[in-house]
Amino acid sequence: MADYNKPIPEADPYVTQPFWDGAKDGKLMLPRCTDCSKVHFYPRIICPHCQSFNIEWVEASGNGTIHTFAVQQRAFGGWAEEVPFTTAFIDMAEGARMLTVLRGVDSTNPQSIKIGSKVKVEFEKASDDISVPFWRVVE
Amino acid sequence: MPNNPSMAAALVGAGESDKIGFVPEKTSLMLHAEAIKNAAADAGIHIRDIEAVFSAGGVPGMQSPGLAEYLGIKPKWFDSTTVGGSAFVMYVHHALAAINAGIFDIAVISHGESGYSGGRRAGKGTGQTRGQLDPWAPASQFEAPYGLAGAPSSYSHAMNRYMHQFGVSKEAFAQIAVVTREWAGLNPKAVMHSKETNPNGGPITIEDVLNSRVISWPLNLLDVCLVTDHGGAVIVASAAVAKSLRRKPVWVAGAGEAMSHSSMLAMDDFTRTSASVSSARAYKMAGLGPRDMEMAMIYDSFTYTAGVTAEMLGLRPRGEGPTLWAGDDARPGGKFPVNTNGGGLSFSHSGMYGMMLLVEAQRQLAGTAEEPGIGLPGRQTNAKVAVVNGTGGSLSTTGTVVLTADS
Repeated sequence: MADYNKPIPEADPYVTQPFWDGAKDGKLMLPRCTDCSKVHFYPRIICPHCQSFNIEWVEASGNGTIHTFAVQQRAFGGWAEEVPFTTAFIDMAEGARMLTVLRGVDSTNPQSIKIGSKVKVEFEKASDDISVPFWRVVE
Repeated sequence: MPNNPSMAAALVGAGESDKIGFVPEKTSLMLHAEAIKNAAADAGIHIRDIEAVFSAGGVPGMQSPGLAEYLGIKPKWFDSTTVGGSAFVMYVHHALAAINAGIFDIAVISHGESGYSGGRRAGKGTGQTRGQLDPWAPASQFEAPYGLAGAPSSYSHAMNRYMHQFGVSKEAFAQIAVVTREWAGLNPKAVMHSKETNPNGGPITIEDVLNSRVISWPLNLLDVCLVTDHGGAVIVASAAVAKSLRRKPVWVAGAGEAMSHSSMLAMDDFTRTSASVSSARAYKMAGLGPRDMEMAMIYDSFTYTAGVTAEMLGLRPRGEGPTLWAGDDARPGGKFPVNTNGGGLSFSHSGMYGMMLLVEAQRQLAGTAEEPGIGLPGRQTNAKVAVVNGTGGSLSTTGTVVLTADS
């Protein structure tokens, strides 16, 4: 933890605190509209599907698939030491999408990484308050 | 039913800053001022004749009023809509509407951006570095933790999804860079015109693109636009004024704008842009369709941007956008010229490139592309109808105009 040298997000105590509290406990929390029942991501105070302001937090399965990915050869700060690394947009099983850095892939061989592969969320403790979600290829 | 503003306004002059490419001796405002000087001279008007200022770059905070102040004019209309590099094409839409409403007769759309040199000066003197994002902003919490480094690192995700979904190769996109470089070879102002203008200039091959350094796979260096300094401006005038000026009017037949998202965190379909919507609006206003177009100026921040936009504009079937560049059509001498200035890939791209699409389209349709100081023999095409599309943000916003030459 002490050596976590990547950007560490700060929770917004009024909106996103449940997401980061969940992450700290190893749970993936998503905002869901109590009117249309759809989840969305990134978290908002308004549902982007039906414009309702009635939002609740639900625990997600942590399962998803790779929607698309890219292999980064250039980065700054702590990420510069990690190149090449693979970023991806994850289609979560519950229906929303999330950006991440993929784990369990060979970033030196982009052809070996497959869109549609199943992934599972995991969390890395970055500070006492914040654990950052990452997704790992599980097939 | 509102009246149709089609042809209520025309582009009547265009200009660039005196130097383009790497101009360390000029700030963004100076690049603006030179471009406006040259565009006004091209149109045959005085800068003080300008009644409306449309601008979004190079003047932090106050944008178009900041530019008007620098020029010493007090416009009756100013617009700083800031939506990325597509903004300039949208300004044509905005100016057309205001001119049609009778609010002013003469407007300037301008861009000046010390995109390369300004960054190297940042932080010196009392200069501020780029402001930090609010830590509670969505991008701060859900994008910044994952190490993306600028536009190439996000656009690459879209290109990969497109390649996967339609079975399109990197070679097909590389061809866009090759053909665009051929056009740069005819434009002496293009940064990559030749070995004389840049050590890396001159013709390139598909292999050169594929063998260039990987920036963010699947994007290689030669799939990515330049980072330069430039200014550009066009003068827009009402129909009555346009007919009284020295250049043949380039008529605004249609205009439209649209968006799909702002940040890529909320991009729904990585294989589309809103250009399908903005172009549909522009074609409808013009009473024309994609088959009526004779040339295209397509924002090419990346080969992918250009490729996907070609099909969003209806110029190629779905999943086949890059084939617009596959044969001889889009090349110099071809029957459907595309990005005749050398594009953001090989001419100049200061950060927001959309302005230069308009400068080049105006010249092609006014017939001035080969005038001394403007171009070289071989650049002027026979096109009389052009579609121009700007893309801004992270494939987020689009502005489309349909322009027609005076008959």
